Amino acid sequence: MPDPLLLQGLVDEALKLGASYAEARFHRLSSLQAIMINGAVIGAGEDVSEGVAVRVLLEGGMGFSATTDLSGEALREAVRRAVASARSAASYMKRPIRMGPGRLGRAKYSVEPKKPFQDVSLDAKLADLKDMYSGLELSRNGFKISNVTINYSETVEEKIIVNSDGAFVESMVPRLTVFYNMSASTGDRSANRWNQIGGSGGYELVRELRVGEQMKDDVESLYVNLVKAGSPPKGRMDVVLGPEIVALAMHESAGHPSEADRILGREAAQAGMSFRATYKDDVIGSEHATVIDDPTIPGSSGFYLYDDEGVAAGPRILYDKGRLAGMLHNRETAAVYGVESNAAARAMNYASEPIVRMANTYMAPGTYSFEELVEDVREGVYIKKYMEWNIDDIRWGQRYVGLEAYLIRNGRIGEPVRNIALEVTTKEFYSSIDAVGKDLVFYAGTCGKGEPPQGVPVWFGGPHIRMREVNLR
Amino acid sequence: MVWGTAYKDEGGEPEVSGMSLAERISETLSGLVDEHLVKVRETNWLMVKIAGGEVSVIQSWRKSIVDIYVAKDARIGMLSFEATGVEDAVKRIPSLLSVLKPSPFYAPLPEPTGKPLSSTDEKIIEIVRSGEVADRLGELGVDELGNAAGKIDFAYRETRLIGSSGVDLGYRSTSFNGYMRVFREGRSGQWSWTSTKYDAGLARRALEKAVELAEECAKLPRERVEPGRYRVLISPMVAGNLIGDLVGAASAGMLIFGMSFLQGRKPGERVLSPRLTVIDKPLDTSLPGFSGFDDEGVATSNKPIFEEGVFKGFLHNSKTAKLLKAETTGNAGWIMPRPFNLEVAEGDMKPGEMMEMLGDGLYLTNNWYTRFQNYLEGRFSTVSRDAAFVVKGGKPKACVERVRIADLMPRLFSSVEAVGSDPWQIEWWEVRTPTRIPHILLGEAGITLPS
Repeated sequence: MPDPLLLQGLVDEALKLGASYAEARFHRLSSLQAIMINGAVIGAGEDVSEGVAVRVLLEGGMGFSATTDLSGEALREAVRRAVASARSAASYMKRPIRMGPGRLGRAKYSVEPKKPFQDVSLDAKLADLKDMYSGLELSRNGFKISNVTINYSETVEEKIIVNSDGAFVESMVPRLTVFYNMSASTGDRSANRWNQIGGSGGYELVRELRVGEQMKDDVESLYVNLVKAGSPPKGRMDVVLGPEIVALAMHESAGHPSEADRILGREAAQAGMSFRATYKDDVIGSEHATVIDDPTIPGSSGFYLYDDEGVAAGPRILYDKGRLAGMLHNRETAAVYGVESNAAARAMNYASEPIVRMANTYMAPGTYSFEELVEDVREGVYIKKYMEWNIDDIRWGQRYVGLEAYLIRNGRIGEPVRNIALEVTTKEFYSSIDAVGKDLVFYAGTCGKGEPPQGVPVWFGGPHIRMREVNLR
Repeated sequence: MVWGTAYKDEGGEPEVSGMSLAERISETLSGLVDEHLVKVRETNWLMVKIAGGEVSVIQSWRKSIVDIYVAKDARIGMLSFEATGVEDAVKRIPSLLSVLKPSPFYAPLPEPTGKPLSSTDEKIIEIVRSGEVADRLGELGVDELGNAAGKIDFAYRETRLIGSSGVDLGYRSTSFNGYMRVFREGRSGQWSWTSTKYDAGLARRALEKAVELAEECAKLPRERVEPGRYRVLISPMVAGNLIGDLVGAASAGMLIFGMSFLQGRKPGERVLSPRLTVIDKPLDTSLPGFSGFDDEGVATSNKPIFEEGVFKGFLHNSKTAKLLKAETTGNAGWIMPRPFNLEVAEGDMKPGEMMEMLGDGLYLTNNWYTRFQNYLEGRFSTVSRDAAFVVKGGKPKACVERVRIADLMPRLFSSVEAVGSDPWQIEWWEVRTPTRIPHILLGEAGITLPS
């Protein structure tokens, strides 16, 4: 880690060159990765990205530059380029960019893992992966898993953020992520299961997040889909949705449309816009729909205490009992809306500008047990896991295709059904909810946005929910 | 290694930087491992991002990326360093390899048959060096677009590959690409361009196309369509995205990872419409993905992946080739083989004629969020965005908002009825491989949307 005074010097240099605001961020991501196919390690390696980003405002224009070269001359050159870029941008601005208010921090924090990555040998880690693979039942009754690819990744993210408004934040967050893909077939049918499991912390997460158990459970889901499931029903009916799909929906149709930069059109040509830009009403769903984004959840993939503009983080309510509530702001969008930043500025790495991002987005749990949700459904479907999803660029029309789903008849879970598709608008989704489970499960993901594209680690979470009369295909 | 030294003051031909670093690392590795490759990429990149018709930020990067492949006793390790300190990390390689077992992926490094192939444009080099873009934005007419969002990229790269197989190759490249989404009365049109040269005409034609689509859509009423099977004309933006995924399935890596719907297909087998020819064109220096050698130093070649609908074979590196008893095709990635530039061979129909041939159906001009439900079968869906037209009697009669294509990739591209004579050079968020591609008329595609 460089001396913070070096970064302060870059900020001062930018101000001397005419910037009205300047920030300098040292950002290092170091990771160890291994890939295993069908129990055999095909390779392992290290990834390191490290550099300094400088972002400035000058006459309302914004300039950003980044470099991997940490020599004094290269860093001063980065400052000069950021200032020159801001000056160029200013000549094209009709509405100058300003930095709005935010609770800026002077702090140092880190996530202390129970089992630091360096305390477990790579050998032991690979043996654990091998055991997980060996524990899978790969073949029975004509059902066969032909390929299991596991990608193990442990990353330590270190940052120092200094800006001309007085922020100084130093942080260290380790994260573990396991991705896997399984390909299964039986007779003339086939299916895939792709999953991502992760959180902030150390190697203890392999056990705490039950990676091996989740893999076994996914084999069962594939078996149900390919061997046991029948044709899905179509048309309008009641649906009990599992936490995995609810969690994803919170990210896609509550979190993304609440990003203020998207609402303002700053990402219009990339990740798209938001229905909230033109939505006339403030009612988006039933009273049961409350959605929160909270970067401060311990152990989460999206964990941080201060954002990449140095603003102190806390929970943000996006939908409140069915009504559109807060947005996710960085200081730029906060200035436009005349509010305080709520610390949503995140940058993927040193080469990325901080933009408005989610952290950990979830639906607030209710009071129902799973049995209570199901018992009041006369004829419907329980969709437990998904395998395909997408959503349009204003976050309105969304589609989830079930990997594992079951009929519900007279309040009881019945036979499994294959590849059922739920395709609804955001309003339909949240308005159809009439009961929310008391459970809350989080899932790991990598959220994509920005140009150049930035993938940042997030969690999304949800309970079981019951939806009335939604359209299935 | 210091980027600035790559330029001669008099503006003459720059020298490839990163030389000494690559050589030092290679020398160190020679004593530590059996085989190694070192790839150093120096990038000087400038991006103008536009939103609401204004410049939202100008970003620039000076990056040095060092990728290292090592093998010892058939154990494989890889390092990627976008940072200083790579030389210290190299010393950790023996301990990393010592705990691994021989990799089933291992194959000896192939003979380096590649040749350096460079293509640069001094104008682009000058733009990224000076950071002066105001005149360029004026030349492209960005300030006349009204409400628009997008990005414009200028980049200069130097690439060096050196290793124990005797490979020692380097090349320089420049790129100029971008995309713009233009808004008119609540509708939008989006288009992109890509080139290795600063070609203001190419960019302006893309911007004009975005304006034309937005304005045409704004003139038409909105109409809702019902889910079903439709004849669909797809623009080069949409076709570029879907062809990218189609070619992804032709990577032998995707086959080995169990994620290819071409599993079980043999070279010589017809899998798509005979009207469709898809070519990997690494030697086409007009598209920014060009290279005379792959990541193993093997010579690249222009070759059809699908020729008149016939599958010509998987893309290989030396490892996938050994596993599948094939020959490398010069498409390494160290793990995953990949195409460099893509081209869909143009047909003989103008877009207007294709619209007439479409008759009744849909014309989709942009899409995003393509996701596979089932890689092995190629079952996917993707969501349209921007201008999408309901076509009746060969004329656009209405605009339709955000429908999905939900279908099987092989079935979709088996239904091709016509390929346009209007190739566009496309590269954007959803088309990552530079692609030259015209309009494509699909005989039928599954269309869904929320009720």
